[in-house]
Amino acid sequence: MKIRLLALLLCANSAHADTPQQILDGLVAQAGPASVTRGEKLFRGKFSGGKTADSCTACHTENAKLPGQHARTHKAIDPIAPVAQKDRFTDAAKVEKWFKRNCQEVLGRVCSAQEKADFTAYMISVK
Amino acid sequence: MGITWKNLLTLILSVAATVMVINNAPADDEAIFPMPAGKTYVEECGSCHTAYAPGLLPARSWRRMMGELDNHFGEDASLSEPQQLEILKALETLAADGNQANMRMRRIHGAIPAGTAPQRISETGYFKFMHDEVRPSIWKRKKIGTLANCIACHTRANEGRYGEREVRIPQ
Ligand code: HEC
Ligand code: HEC
Ligand code: HEC
Repeated sequence: MKIRLLALLLCANSAHADTPQQILDGLVAQAGPASVTRGEKLFRGKFSGGKTADSCTACHTENAKLPGQHARTHKAIDPIAPVAQKDRFTDAAKVEKWFKRNCQEVLGRVCSAQEKADFTAYMISVK
Repeated sequence: MGITWKNLLTLILSVAATVMVINNAPADDEAIFPMPAGKTYVEECGSCHTAYAPGLLPARSWRRMMGELDNHFGEDASLSEPQQLEILKALETLAADGNQANMRMRRIHGAIPAGTAPQRISETGYFKFMHDEVRPSIWKRKKIGTLANCIACHTRANEGRYGEREVRIPQ
């Protein structure tokens, strides 16, 4: 009885907190299978057509396990890889919001579900 | 003057009062700005930069900024409507010209020309006055980079704390 109550409480608590794998599954369901290689290409690629930053690494640095720094404001940014920062890719709404902002920032357009799935798969693969 | 109970009592009371004033002084003096309650403000307005204390600008500045979040200094900082309204209300309440403004906040407001709604804290008279001793080469250090990177030096800026004791200038 007590244990069931506890389990119930835990479930209620984690209702909106997903795991990175669950977030990836959600994206794959829209896009099809994800590619870690393509994800890394998006992360490291240099693009034109965006605004101040020409790449994801301009703010998130070349090493996803290290803290980044915002290209314009210079504020420190926690590492983007879940292995180094455990709340990364655990809130679907937050992930969606930053893909929207940062793809506009770097690519000058929104990212496709495929690109989001690839990027997420790459970040999960960083060990 | 002989020591009477009455004199002694007056002395004790005045010492006690002085101690209270001294104890209170740092808190009044210490450059602490009230911050919006809850996590929304720091999460939404503290992700790209310092979560600036509302008391650093007057309400009219915040109103203008919160109406143009889709083009916020060239960035998309837009929010859901409930969050936008929640944050705007907190900013207005705690602004430099709000009802509860302390002396420091009133001074900040006093230095801003009426009829203007500055968008940059780093361009206000108060900010310039407070930082005129920081050498230009310091602002250019990699970990600082811009005047508006308050949290690089004011380690507890996201809690509204700008006191001297909490300043650490990175190398
Ligand atoms: C101009 C700086 C900047 C650039 C360029 C940038 N980001 Fe970000 N990104 C941020 C900031 C700031 C955050 C949120 C910071 C935080 O939560 O600590 C963030 C967070 C994210 C998150 C949310 C992760 C989570 O779950 O917390 C994702 C996903 C993301 N970025 C993807 C990208 C991608 C993809 C690119 C390249 C197309 C990119 N970013 C380029 C600044 C940037
Ligand atoms: C997507 C990133 C992002 C988000 C989110 C964001 N800002 Fe900004 N903000 C910026 C950038 C970039 C600048 C300009 C930095 C520069 O040019 O030095 C800026 C500048 C500012 C400034 C002027 C700083 C100065 O004194 O120079 C204020 C005040 C400000 N933002 C408040 C807010 C508030 C309030 C929110 C939340 C509603 C918010 N910001 C959310 C990116 C962001
Ligand atoms: C280069 C590091 C640095 C940065 C960045 C910086 N400050 Fe300061 N600030 C200082 C120093 C040094 C002082 C003077 C120390 C003192 O007397 O308190 C100071 C003083 C202040 C004071 C007065 C404190 C007092 O005790 O009266 C305030 C308020 C303040 N800063 C706000 C800000 C705000 C707001 C920002 C960002 C928009 C900012 N600072 C950015 C270094 C910095």
